Amino acid sequence: MIDGETLARIDALQSRYIRALDTKNLAAWSDCFGEAASYICIARENEEQNLPLAIMMDDSLARIHDRVKYVTEIWAGTFEDYQTRHFVQRIECVPRATDLVAVESNFLVAYTSARGRSEILVAGSYQDEIDLGHGEARFRAKKAILDTVTTPRYLVYPV
Amino acid sequence: MRNDTALDLRWPAKFNEIPKEVFHRADVYRLELQRIFAGPEWHPLAHVAEIPEPGDLKTGFIGEVPVLTVHGDDGVVRVFANSCPHRGTQLKTCARGRADKIECPYHRWTFTNRGALIGAPGMGDFPQDFRKEDYGLRVIRSGQSCGLVFATLSGEAPPLDDYLDDTGEHIARAMGGDGRLNFLGYQKVSFACNWKEYSDNEGYHGPLLHAAFRMLKFSQGEGTQFMTPHAHKVNSATLTVPKASFLEDSSVVEGRDPKLAPHNIIVSLFPVTIITRNLDVISIRYAMPISPDETEVHYAYFAHADDDADLVKHRVRQASNLIGPSGFISLEDGAVFNRLHVGAHSEGNVGFQKGVKGRIEAPYTLDKGDEAGNLIRWEHYRQAMGFVRD
Repeated sequence: MIDGETLARIDALQSRYIRALDTKNLAAWSDCFGEAASYICIARENEEQNLPLAIMMDDSLARIHDRVKYVTEIWAGTFEDYQTRHFVQRIECVPRATDLVAVESNFLVAYTSARGRSEILVAGSYQDEIDLGHGEARFRAKKAILDTVTTPRYLVYPV
Repeated sequence: MRNDTALDLRWPAKFNEIPKEVFHRADVYRLELQRIFAGPEWHPLAHVAEIPEPGDLKTGFIGEVPVLTVHGDDGVVRVFANSCPHRGTQLKTCARGRADKIECPYHRWTFTNRGALIGAPGMGDFPQDFRKEDYGLRVIRSGQSCGLVFATLSGEAPPLDDYLDDTGEHIARAMGGDGRLNFLGYQKVSFACNWKEYSDNEGYHGPLLHAAFRMLKFSQGEGTQFMTPHAHKVNSATLTVPKASFLEDSSVVEGRDPKLAPHNIIVSLFPVTIITRNLDVISIRYAMPISPDETEVHYAYFAHADDDADLVKHRVRQASNLIGPSGFISLEDGAVFNRLHVGAHSEGNVGFQKGVKGRIEAPYTLDKGDEAGNLIRWEHYRQAMGFVRD
């Protein structure tokens, strides 16, 4: 059983994560991860068939920092920008170890193009491991599994 | 001169100009499906590594024609129409799957995975001249090169080996020398562009569009870039890869394959398939036209059968970061595909300039960094479509 205070800390992290992405604040996005961390965005087709290939694979905090650089420095000024809105629903929380909780959530991400049209970018589920032992809650591992195997446009920002 | 099509389209006299109309007109697109996708061209559908076991299958499309690539229980890989020979129902809807038998859900006609009709309910009431042998799955002509399964809807396509011209050794080198691959997974994306915009990439744009090329200080060494008579393009060169000091973790841009020093190999087969080897990433990009305004691309990635576990992990990390629709040295391509397509709705022609020194014919060797080679693709396209120059 997870107490209300712990759930509040988990939800605060999820909100911080959503706000970081929906305001395109990539530094704040990377700050949602702890020292030992990974971020993976993978198609459900690969995940279910035990195929390891991902769309984004940052298997350390250094790689997560490098992704911030991709978006803010390397690709800047080239891609067709878009605004996202993440809708995240917590489904299950399971304690894994002291101060470590596994959290599963559904997500739906809407995107709005420069022409002002909004559509669904991706639907899927997060499988997260959240570290509660070092002050503010942070992700130790976050995996975004995309039901949307064929994305309607190329993804620039993490999900 | 009149076009030998019913289409009213003016093709410019200048060899380096292409009319923008071909990128968005619906009637041009319908004619492309007939003359190019159902015409005398071969289309890669799957590598055997994607369907390694007997019974494995993969669905796909040639143009808009649904096809099934099936590894039969006799070990033979065949390509069939993904359509029941009875009433035409699509047989398989999964992207990849397994089937000892293939059953149509509509009337339960059942086929072996070699394509033969096993039986159909109520067969006693069929016409007297009904013969099971006449109602196997419709076989589509197919062939293999380096484990890559090709198919053609046309009886007039030349033998596959002839069609591939001199691309074979480069395809083999891209695929670890012999095509003995293990499948790692897909990345799939839709681009809001015409298939010809997607497949019109060239060497001129590389270091200009892609900031990462410059930041990584990649430099191409020994190599070759040439166009073949069937309008395929090969770009193959060694790559010098300095340590990427601007990354916190530069391990994803190292070349570690002991059997091949860092290379950049791009084999663009007419009309839409691209086989690439970038550093240690082995990839086949299958592309499908969805409409004049949409192209879907499936990037398939592979390891080599001889790789040890560390090298497989390295290839997975590199492929999940470097190349592909969200790759850090390739994402900008998608942006340009989409922007080309919006721009193509303005009047006039697009023009190729870099490396253009008058009319060229295949076989033709290009300087790296030129865009002129694509004009051989365009000439092949123009002739296949029956458009006549002004």
